[in-house]
Amino acid sequence: MYITDLYSISPQKTFNNSLFEGEVEIIFGNKYYAIEPNYSELIPRGLLRRMGKAVRLGIGAGMPLIKKQNNLDGIIIGTASGGLDDCIKFLNQIVEYNEGTLTPTNFVSSTPNSISGHLALMSKNTGYNNTHMGMGLAFESSILDAFLLFEEGDVSKLLIGSVEETSEHNHNIDTFAGHFKDVEIPSTDLISSNSKGSVRGEGSSMFIVSKDKENAICELADVHQFTYPKEQNIEDRAIKFLAKNKLTSTDIDGLMLGFSGDNRHDFWYENLMKSFPEATIYTYKNLVGEYATASGFATWFGAQILKGQNIPDEAIYRKTNRSQKNILIYNNYLGAQHGFILLKGI
Amino acid sequence: MKKVFVTGMGIISAIGNNTPENLNSLRSGKTGIGPAKYVNSNYGKTHPFAEVKLSTDELKSTLNLKNNHGLTRTDYIAFTALKEAIAQSNISTEELSSEETAFISASTIGGMCNTDELYKDANLISSGSEYVESYPGSTHTLKIAKEFELSGVVGAINTACSSSANSIMLGAKLIKSGRATRAIVGGTDSLGKFSINGFNSLQIMSDIPCAPFDADRKGLNLGEGAAYLILESEDVIEDKQAYAEILGYGNSNDAFHPSSLSEDAVGVVECISKALKSAQVNPNEIDYINAHGTATGNNDMTELTGISKVFNGFPPFNSTKSYTGHTLAAAGAIEAVYSILSINNNELFPSLNCNTPIEPFNQFPIKEHINSDIKTVLSNSFGFGGNCSSLIIREVT
Repeated sequence: MYITDLYSISPQKTFNNSLFEGEVEIIFGNKYYAIEPNYSELIPRGLLRRMGKAVRLGIGAGMPLIKKQNNLDGIIIGTASGGLDDCIKFLNQIVEYNEGTLTPTNFVSSTPNSISGHLALMSKNTGYNNTHMGMGLAFESSILDAFLLFEEGDVSKLLIGSVEETSEHNHNIDTFAGHFKDVEIPSTDLISSNSKGSVRGEGSSMFIVSKDKENAICELADVHQFTYPKEQNIEDRAIKFLAKNKLTSTDIDGLMLGFSGDNRHDFWYENLMKSFPEATIYTYKNLVGEYATASGFATWFGAQILKGQNIPDEAIYRKTNRSQKNILIYNNYLGAQHGFILLKGI
Repeated sequence: MKKVFVTGMGIISAIGNNTPENLNSLRSGKTGIGPAKYVNSNYGKTHPFAEVKLSTDELKSTLNLKNNHGLTRTDYIAFTALKEAIAQSNISTEELSSEETAFISASTIGGMCNTDELYKDANLISSGSEYVESYPGSTHTLKIAKEFELSGVVGAINTACSSSANSIMLGAKLIKSGRATRAIVGGTDSLGKFSINGFNSLQIMSDIPCAPFDADRKGLNLGEGAAYLILESEDVIEDKQAYAEILGYGNSNDAFHPSSLSEDAVGVVECISKALKSAQVNPNEIDYINAHGTATGNNDMTELTGISKVFNGFPPFNSTKSYTGHTLAAAGAIEAVYSILSINNNELFPSLNCNTPIEPFNQFPIKEHINSDIKTVLSNSFGFGGNCSSLIIREVT
């Protein structure tokens, strides 16, 4: 399939071109909040006020793309938690009012599928509609779902995307689970921090994908996912994945790795890197933080590289002089879930 | 495209802890909806629920898992149904952990059934419970993947109340396309304050046993349960017994309202029509419809409208939610199992509590137990967010 249009809201200024004009946000601490565009032309003010952040990010990144399409055949969203904050707000009402008479607004927006539901509702799109919530592979599963639809032959254009939000509540829960660093450091030091835990990011990256090459920015050539691998070196899996796409490791010009600065999980990236000595290595979590569907941002960023954008030095871990045509994205979430995404230039 | 067969089923619901028990209850018209024993909510005293008839500790002790840390009732219910499905299909440990075996599941409540722990963890009232990594709806998939050493695609879907119909659909597609040879598909949900208060705030939770397709229906009863199907490609089943074929499916969005369906049933008509098209089946070939039939005012009216627009006359239909309550993300898979039981035994089970049919359709759901040749079944599932899905399941000849 081909990416023909894309939009991202992230902790960098990605809703316009600032990131590629030298404006890199340096973020301090454990929470990388999204820099959001002005939604006033997109979402009526009354609706916006009631909308949870995940739904707002999803609509904010998805609707500008949908509005430009005449015949969109469906919407597929990957989100591990959806509107978790709405969930906790509703839960707090349950406890604080001792299960009294509650308003359903937070309950209805708390389910992960309310993002794809709202996008369908706002664009009157009655086509295929699905939401994948498989944590660190929710975005990869959305790509897989799109491939299956294209292969069945009934659709030609889809919106796919990733959404995740940060709230006090989910940050509290994940702090207990040991996801974050004990000390606050600047994003410039994240990748080299070599300590336990990472930082939390959020955002939404959306794509129009088409089975036709016309107006393509790049090809989203393939996706692969696996869980709890027994081996600590996944080189063989990468080689096999590339072979399926008639490529070898030397064909990869850019390797986009999910280094998060968490020394419990970064070794996966270091191991894989050794098999691609000629490739330029990119990082992105020092720009947008770590979250379950961060590979959605990586895909957006990879497509921008293939579009020929001026990539900031902060995202280049190791530079080679290869011109960028084939980009392999590898991400793992907490060492448990692993995914490859292959992008090819046109 | 490969054919997709069902070679194993596992189920636990308010009407039984395994497939034979569920079948017996359906045959004898025995509902699982009644006074709550385990529900931790004030509404447990005022509303009936369709509980699994085992305590969480009883579920846990029968399972004998390698690791119980952080497991919730939702997880134990899932494991129970999954183990039955795996045993019935007789797939080996090697086949289970093959990269070509996919696992696609669903849950809406996940670990949030432990509502009080979540409240404390999220608001820093606790010092971190053992459930801090158990709350999202997808975490049961990772626990299952670890226990059974699954190494293929492990996915979780949330389209609210139609979730596990979409798990079945995705698993079938992975096999049809040749990307997997086997897929374990289904869903799980348990009762918790969160969903109980949610449905109550929408004023669609009935304080008496639900009456699907009755003119005076008062809303749904919440239930809990899980069901899993083992799907296998025609390439690998050899002489193994197949219980049914997943013939077709359709998915659409009603695009009308965040929590109700449109009067003209746009999404319902579209998903049924897509399912018929993908199965290459004519409407008159459908012998029975396992309806979504939640017994809310909105759902039942819209579903009848949708069926009337696609079919020339109503095929026999029922809502097995009159036995199991609405099991949310498990409903699609539980109802797929019931559809297959109807096909395998050539019988249709009575829909309970409908005394006055809905005007202008004036259609009673199946009123009593019927023996009849059942070859092809349509099963509907609809959810909040406008998500509509239909499956077409056929007997194996």
